Amino acid sequence: MSQTQGGNSKAWWLLSPGVGLYILTFFIPLAMLLVLSFAKFENSVTTIGFFFDNYVKIMTDGITLTIFYRTVQLALMITVSCLVLGYPVAVLMRRSGPRARLWLLFFIVSPLLTSIIVRNVAWVLILGRSGIINDTLIDWGWISTPLPLMYNTFGVVLAVVHVYLSFMVLPLFGALIAIDSSIEEAASSLGASPLRVFLTVTLPLSLPGVTAGCTLVFILSMGIYLTPVIMGGNFVLTLPMLITDSVRNLYNWPVASAMALMLLAAIGAMVLLSARVQKMVGG
Amino acid sequence: MREGYGSPWPHRALVVFSLLVIFFLVAPLAILVIQSFTNESYLSFPPPSFGFRWYREVFTSSDWRDAVGLSVLIAILVTPLSLILGTLAAFGLDRGPMRGRQSLYAVMISPMVLPHIVLGLGIFRIALQLNIEDTLLAFVPAHLTITVPFVVISVGASLQTFNVTLEEAAMSLGASRWRAVWHITLPVIRPGLIAGAIFSFIISFDEFIITFFLATYEQTLPLEMFSTLMFQVKPSIAAISTLTLAVTAALTAMLMFRGQILGGGRIVK
Repeated sequence: MSQTQGGNSKAWWLLSPGVGLYILTFFIPLAMLLVLSFAKFENSVTTIGFFFDNYVKIMTDGITLTIFYRTVQLALMITVSCLVLGYPVAVLMRRSGPRARLWLLFFIVSPLLTSIIVRNVAWVLILGRSGIINDTLIDWGWISTPLPLMYNTFGVVLAVVHVYLSFMVLPLFGALIAIDSSIEEAASSLGASPLRVFLTVTLPLSLPGVTAGCTLVFILSMGIYLTPVIMGGNFVLTLPMLITDSVRNLYNWPVASAMALMLLAAIGAMVLLSARVQKMVGG
Repeated sequence: MREGYGSPWPHRALVVFSLLVIFFLVAPLAILVIQSFTNESYLSFPPPSFGFRWYREVFTSSDWRDAVGLSVLIAILVTPLSLILGTLAAFGLDRGPMRGRQSLYAVMISPMVLPHIVLGLGIFRIALQLNIEDTLLAFVPAHLTITVPFVVISVGASLQTFNVTLEEAAMSLGASRWRAVWHITLPVIRPGLIAGAIFSFIISFDEFIITFFLATYEQTLPLEMFSTLMFQVKPSIAAISTLTLAVTAALTAMLMFRGQILGGGRIVK
């Protein structure tokens, strides 16, 4: 705020309760995970020190790395699906009149505040072995055995897209609404077809929103635990599941910490990449 | 439709596609709500007969009651604390010197960027160290860590539009700083406070993974729903889901009518 340009540095004391909380629940815990990731875990005993055993283990045991790639792959599939479903909606939101836009915005924003587990339950009731789709198709005699609609990648991607689609549409809409429509009108008055206007003007100008939305959805998808467990059962394994299992069932904190840092590294890499792309597309 | 977008056919395709996407977002929840009113002992669609059988079941089951009770208790403790911590921080950021404001703001919202799975793992670790896992002493601060950033953002946004001279005018007329803030500033930034409170409540009420790490015997509602779902899909899960949906829908409606999310209609003008 301009009035407080000089500002009173005493005001920063107001941050202390929040910062105090974060120190206990955020900074110290993260530091602990970092230290633990270099600890040694042998015969259920954790020895603090500076060992690379956990990192070597997750890189060479063949399983962790495979599941890590699988997690990245899944996150990419979710991101692309959100983009494909979300972009047209964002375009329509920009073109609509005030009332229609408000309704569209309502349908896009309200899922953000709807319980994730409730939405997963809804998908189980639809896609499950005796869910609506399988029940109906069997009733009609179209199939005799239930279709595998969940406990596979398809079910996981569908349910996660349902959860994260809003996070894609909002940045897309933000970028699209910021485009000055007179640029498009200029292009079309010079004889460009609507498709050409879209491909050469609208789409390139919306790329900052595409980058922001994709980054957000990718990061969120990398870390999601609940939906893949419910929709994938034990058939779709992801890094967050491995982390949870290592701690809750194997009590192997050092390996779980190393995996958590691996996840953070992947997310950090994505953020850096996204910043680069943003620079290129002029966001 | 505005002019200059060419022939109506691509536009119609766009409308149809968008309606399908919205159907995809809404239909599963609508089906869930309808199914929850089944009178049968199994789930089917459409239900052969309707009734409140499974709602009675949910209300009389001590497991569901305990889980709802704990979730509400945590959210009721978290919401005011989150509002206090977040609002103090937002004021500090707004009134402090320009230098360093950006980095302190980044610190105050930093828990948002961390995947909750990693945050949960870390909080579980320190809770084990302090021997407070599976208690409110762990649940409440853990939830606060993810709700405070939302208050910092929503109250911060309201403070940006607040004109400090109003507060200074009150003080020049003899009001103390506290009195001026209480009677002038807080009422003006009320939409931001309400949004922050509602976000805090909903986020805490719905939080899963961090609580999943911390909880052993205690079960919040999302945890109880999760373990029930993993065990068996019964109509009671549809009933409790519908109840959860009703609570969050009511809070969301409040939020929308306060105009905070939709920018007070500014965005649609």
